[in-house]
Amino acid sequence: MKKKLISICLAAVLATAVLTACSESAGGTAEQTAEAEEAVKEEAEAEAEAPTEDAAPAEEAAADETAAQAATETAAVAAAETAAAINLIGEDKRDQAPAEGTDFSSLKIGEIESYIVDDGGWCQATHESIVAAMKELGIPEENLIVLESIDDTDQATTQTAAEELINEGCTLIFGASTGYASYLPEIAAAHPEVLFAQWGNKVDNLIGYEIRSYEGMFLAGYASELLSKDTNPELGFSASFNEFSVRTAINAYALGAQYANPEATVRVASADSWYDIDKETQCAQSLIDAGIKYMGMEASSPAIPETCQKNGAFVVGYHNDMSALAPEAVLVSHMWNFAPIFKNIMINAAEGTASTSDFYYWGGDCSKLSDFAAFVPEEVVAEVTALQEKIQSGEVQVFAGELKDNAGNVLVADGEVMSDEDIIFQNFFVEGVTTSWKIGE
Amino acid sequence: MSTTLLISIISTAVVYAATVLYAAVGEIFSQRAGIMNLGLEGIMLMGAVSGYMVAVYRQNLVLAMLVVILVGAALGLVFSFLTVTMQADQTVSGMAMLTFGTGLSGFLGKGVSGVNANLAFEPIAIPVLSRVPVLGPSLFDQNILVYLMYLIIPLSMIYLYKTRAGMILRALGENPAALDSAGYNVFALRYAYVTFGSIMTAVSGAVVSLAYTNFWSDGMTSGKGWIAVALVVFSAWNPLTATFGALLFGAISIIGIDVQTVFPQVPSQVFSALPYVATIIALIFTTGNFRGRRSAAPAALTIPYDREKR
Repeated sequence: MKKKLISICLAAVLATAVLTACSESAGGTAEQTAEAEEAVKEEAEAEAEAPTEDAAPAEEAAADETAAQAATETAAVAAAETAAAINLIGEDKRDQAPAEGTDFSSLKIGEIESYIVDDGGWCQATHESIVAAMKELGIPEENLIVLESIDDTDQATTQTAAEELINEGCTLIFGASTGYASYLPEIAAAHPEVLFAQWGNKVDNLIGYEIRSYEGMFLAGYASELLSKDTNPELGFSASFNEFSVRTAINAYALGAQYANPEATVRVASADSWYDIDKETQCAQSLIDAGIKYMGMEASSPAIPETCQKNGAFVVGYHNDMSALAPEAVLVSHMWNFAPIFKNIMINAAEGTASTSDFYYWGGDCSKLSDFAAFVPEEVVAEVTALQEKIQSGEVQVFAGELKDNAGNVLVADGEVMSDEDIIFQNFFVEGVTTSWKIGE
Repeated sequence: MSTTLLISIISTAVVYAATVLYAAVGEIFSQRAGIMNLGLEGIMLMGAVSGYMVAVYRQNLVLAMLVVILVGAALGLVFSFLTVTMQADQTVSGMAMLTFGTGLSGFLGKGVSGVNANLAFEPIAIPVLSRVPVLGPSLFDQNILVYLMYLIIPLSMIYLYKTRAGMILRALGENPAALDSAGYNVFALRYAYVTFGSIMTAVSGAVVSLAYTNFWSDGMTSGKGWIAVALVVFSAWNPLTATFGALLFGAISIIGIDVQTVFPQVPSQVFSALPYVATIIALIFTTGNFRGRRSAAPAALTIPYDREKR
């Protein structure tokens, strides 16, 4: 009896760990996915710089959450080896109008999400983008079928979901979480009549899409430092996992801050979890206790904005407009807006011009900021808007030389600009970032 | 270590403890009565979502807590019916409660996910006491559910160990047949304690959604129900020990984040692993069979009571 009880309790503790891991993956599969997908994405381009580890099948690599970093690299190698031609869709297609008489009413769209569509985070951002794009093209709402909470680490679930959508007559299916990149190509190959669009990297048989999220984060850092520099040049950043989409966010935030004030620094507190209310709360709290008043975030729950509001600190929201959740603390939110990309994919799908080698890597209004809170001074808003225009015109480059990492190594020489692969595959922290994360782990 | 840091750690540990202690104390009572409910996580989520829904739609915290209590009671009665009347396997029934609660709460909460209720249990500073250095702001500037916990712990200790009813409760989990011979209704008592445990668990969930944070998201308790189950065993079915366990666990899980901003040279994963290391050490010390020490587990735990087999 005693033994049984103890074993049950042990099982309970294990289950806790597993559950926590699951909830983490649920909360942030999207970004996690980003990692593996982005890895695979660079297929062709990565060839030149690809690490020389043994290539493992991309599926395995992507599914293995624990080996995130290594997996990423191996996946990249695997992808590079089987590289297909990538048709990079330029940002000039943003304004592409559908051809006269294109029939959208027969375009049935499927959406596979790792979590619920009103999660206040990643899935919501994707879902709203799909709905917005459909609305713009006049595609009736009932043409969209959404499957929620499809575990992106589970091959059977993912493939069944995709097949279900195909049976329902969907001809364009969006996979919004990293893990799907491993399982969807197989289905896509078996159903050439159906188009799949997959977030993150470019993998065979799937249209790839990703946004230049660093543009928005750069503006976020710039705005925070404009407000903070007179009292404390140090900003905070509440982060989730040490993974390159998160590193990109932190670095862009720090570079934006340094654009406002070269003395600016960013201190990172990390939850090491995609979703953990306790840790996220404490991340924000510990930064505030260290005297920081303005921070950025890359996390899933509203715990960080809430903690800031309780303590009179300020934060830049993430994923979606978070102002409703903490109206006194959210300065502005960085939003993931895939709508322009989705619109283009839908047009091409309806016109029959879409190809599985299409890849989108767009910035501008895809990486946009929400409206600023009313308490943010107008001159700050004006300066941020001016900078936004400079980024869009190409006058200001976020990852431009001279750029040093936080160990003093030169990453980009003066007068040069970082390549897109290096921007996506970020494996460094820029000068002025303090973090306990180690690179290359 | 600065004072602010210390206050922040103690204060967060106390709030964290509140989120799991209601459930842990409830489960101690339930297990002392001989019924192990492993579905705490599901019931917590149901408590969290029902409380938050009332807060959003009715803007009334008292009503929210009443609904939470009703939801907890309803789930408790279902679980008692399964395990006491039907004598179903408690582990399996617990898992059923877990999946049921997790799924239903996600479904019910769709409408309030990402909606701001703007209504939560706000901290109330207790005059005088909250001015005490360090301990004041961390212990006496909390919300009412935390204060209520300060009362519940000593009251549950007194009830368990100093009252006749508490003795009967302990007997219920050790030797229900003896109680039955003495004229007590074992079934009714078990129904009562399991339902009480379930209500407390639902309140724990409401602490998460209405006091600790103020939002709802699917699966937001992320494992707290399991931590409560683990605390019951660590504490050897003693509410006071469970309190220390909860505080320790809360402090360890958040201290890593404070430390990483102070010592960025140490990899953050080291601190992230601490709670699990602590869990294993605590398990070894509290449940390890050292020199044949008698286990504190109620002897009749998980064994359905059947009058015909006594």
